[in-house]
Amino acid sequence: MQRMASETRRSQMLRGVLDLCLLAVVVDEPAYGYEMTRRLSERGLSTVGEGSIYPLLGRLERDGLVATHRAASDGGPPRKYYRASPSGRRALAEGVRAWHEVRGEVDSILAAIELEVP
Amino acid sequence: MPAFIEECRYEWKRLGVPDAMADEMAAELEADLAEAEADGVSAAEILGESDPRRFAATWATERGLVSQPPQKKSRKGLWIGLAVGLVILLLIALPALALITVSSGSVSTMHSAQPVRSLVIPNVIGKKACKAVRVVARSGADDWRIAGHQHGFSCKEHLVVVGQSPAGHVVRRDGHPVIVTLRLGRS
Repeated sequence: MQRMASETRRSQMLRGVLDLCLLAVVVDEPAYGYEMTRRLSERGLSTVGEGSIYPLLGRLERDGLVATHRAASDGGPPRKYYRASPSGRRALAEGVRAWHEVRGEVDSILAAIELEVP
Repeated sequence: MPAFIEECRYEWKRLGVPDAMADEMAAELEADLAEAEADGVSAAEILGESDPRRFAATWATERGLVSQPPQKKSRKGLWIGLAVGLVILLLIALPALALITVSSGSVSTMHSAQPVRSLVIPNVIGKKACKAVRVVARSGADDWRIAGHQHGFSCKEHLVVVGQSPAGHVVRRDGHPVIVTLRLGRS
């Protein structure tokens, strides 16, 4: 029960920044959907249980925060590649600044807590 | 093509997503799932959703390919809107209906709910009995009687009104019912 509540909290916290994480992994180099999942995983973020990235990519595309193009992949079928657009780069910069502010404010309250999980 | 993607296609078709867009999303998903499988990654890890219809609808909606997301909430909102509209209609219609009822001069329960301070009793002396009764009944008087004709009368008797009480004039209501008494005679 406690584990489930913990996962729900993690999901809720991630939901607010997952779009920034997606932008972050395509800000320098374009990637297709599964490749983005792999990059997130390589940097330590598993999206299992957080829902698919596809609806989120759809929203980023609709809002003009990513640009897309189709290109051949290594030996496979043509893939749809995503890359952060100029608007997406600005949104990422603002989002990262907001994240640092919030993280600092929350840390100033929670970092002093020294309780152990029972 | 995996069954999951087939279900997605069905849902996109149902939602009116253009075929070109549906083809693009299906191809993207199929290629990603095939590569994930080759890597030993489960489809659940990629999809994060076990219901293909819901997954497809969410994706298409987020891309802006569906005008209205298929949510139950919208139907609930419709019912709330209808209920509010009905209440407003009743609030407007009831006072209007009451006014119409009073102004038509008919005796009814609405009449007593909004009492008229005074009313005009028409002068029906000389009129045929049946017509006089109809005129009095429409005047707003609470009741009418025919003096000396406890058992009623027939319109074929050619009777006319030879007297009435109160006489034809403005009668002020003072809390008592206004009853018009007609006296009939042969024409």
